[in-house]
Amino acid sequence: MAVSRDDFSIAFRSALLQRGGAQKFSILSLIISAIFIFFLDVYGFTAMKTVRSVVNDVVFRISYLASSPVRILPTANEGLAKHFYLKKENEELRQVIEKYKSLELNLEFLSNENKNLRKILDSENDNSQKNIVLTKVLIDKNSPFLKSIIINKGTKAGVLKGMPVTKNNYLIGRIVDANYMSSRVLLLTDLNSRIPVTLGQNDSQAILSGSGLPNPKLEYLPEGYEITEGVSVFASGKEGIFAPGTPIGKTKANKGKYSNEVKLFVDPNQLSFVTVHLIRLNKEKN
Amino acid sequence: MSKFNFLNKIYNIGPVFLLYYLSISEVDTNLEKIFEIFTFNLPIIIIYFWILKRPSIMGTGHIFFSGLINDVVMGFPLGISSLSNLVVCFFSNYVRNKSINTTIASDWFTFFIALIFANIVFFSLLNNFSDTIISYSKISYNTFFTLFLFPIFWLLFTIYQMNFIGGKDA
Repeated sequence: MAVSRDDFSIAFRSALLQRGGAQKFSILSLIISAIFIFFLDVYGFTAMKTVRSVVNDVVFRISYLASSPVRILPTANEGLAKHFYLKKENEELRQVIEKYKSLELNLEFLSNENKNLRKILDSENDNSQKNIVLTKVLIDKNSPFLKSIIINKGTKAGVLKGMPVTKNNYLIGRIVDANYMSSRVLLLTDLNSRIPVTLGQNDSQAILSGSGLPNPKLEYLPEGYEITEGVSVFASGKEGIFAPGTPIGKTKANKGKYSNEVKLFVDPNQLSFVTVHLIRLNKEKN
Repeated sequence: MSKFNFLNKIYNIGPVFLLYYLSISEVDTNLEKIFEIFTFNLPIIIIYFWILKRPSIMGTGHIFFSGLINDVVMGFPLGISSLSNLVVCFFSNYVRNKSINTTIASDWFTFFIALIFANIVFFSLLNNFSDTIISYSKISYNTFFTLFLFPIFWLLFTIYQMNFIGGKDA
């Protein structure tokens, strides 16, 4: 019995303290280092924040370079396929441009009308005078636990924590971590994402919560509210971060596990360029 | 002879290279597009297998450093993946010290214990010291598929070891 206990303690100690060959460090020393780094990072000392910001910037750039072969292969394949359909695509694009031209005229009319109505209501929105920054998605690593992307603009370009991020004017998420030359965007599909929204003709209020699945869900809907297919969901702007009326997606009339789901206008897995809105933040400021 | 040595070195750094590449690149083992719940943790399988079979080619420093890189890329608090990886590394070291001959079944069983402890460390730290919310169902799916796929990667890595690295087990 005593021999067996000795065996256990020898094997245990050896597993923790063993060094030699490729094992330059003992596991125990590395575990202590990892715990030390973890608590330094979690309790967010000022010096550590700066270090983390620099490390993030460097690692994100290296990661972008390391991912280049993975990005280039599908793009090259796609480019080759597109080449054969260039003429057809050109015609289609011409038609789309014509369509957008007519829509633009319509939009201008609606914008003017909206401005005039706002003046009448005397409720001019502070966020209407906002700047935007076009950014490139550096890393889009798919994690089972966190749904986020890394963009190539940071505090140097005026990006701050909490700012909304859109693609084609559709809301996709917000900045949760701003470094000097890069930032992390928390997508609407992430489990940690919660934003107030408005939907339907009655302007019903709800909270759009990420579920970790492709479609976020509506929570805290008015009592007795029945979801119908295809109702547009907009940011309500009540938290003072997202501009009111920013389109997000359309409701889906699913039942059971997938009930109250919202199909986003933008597929969060297909992002290459996004826009950060440099608005004045009322609540979150870092 | 020198060419042979050079090739041997390249083959030897293969597992470490794969570990770093999975940490730093966009390549991931989150296959939710194929099947909604299909995700698994390949780095943990790599660490467990190579520390058990060939500790001479998988340094603990590399495991620690790749964990730090993974934390930066994924947005977790620094050091959390390193800790989780080192727990797996410790179990693998312990099993290697205690056993003479291992089989796929014994490795699978001990891997299960290592995986459970590594995940407990990872998620209890994340839950208690970070604001990040994580779905418990996703954790269990990830653990299940990692465990389920272990024998497949065990075979693949054994084939790699026999054909490119050679020699006997540690």
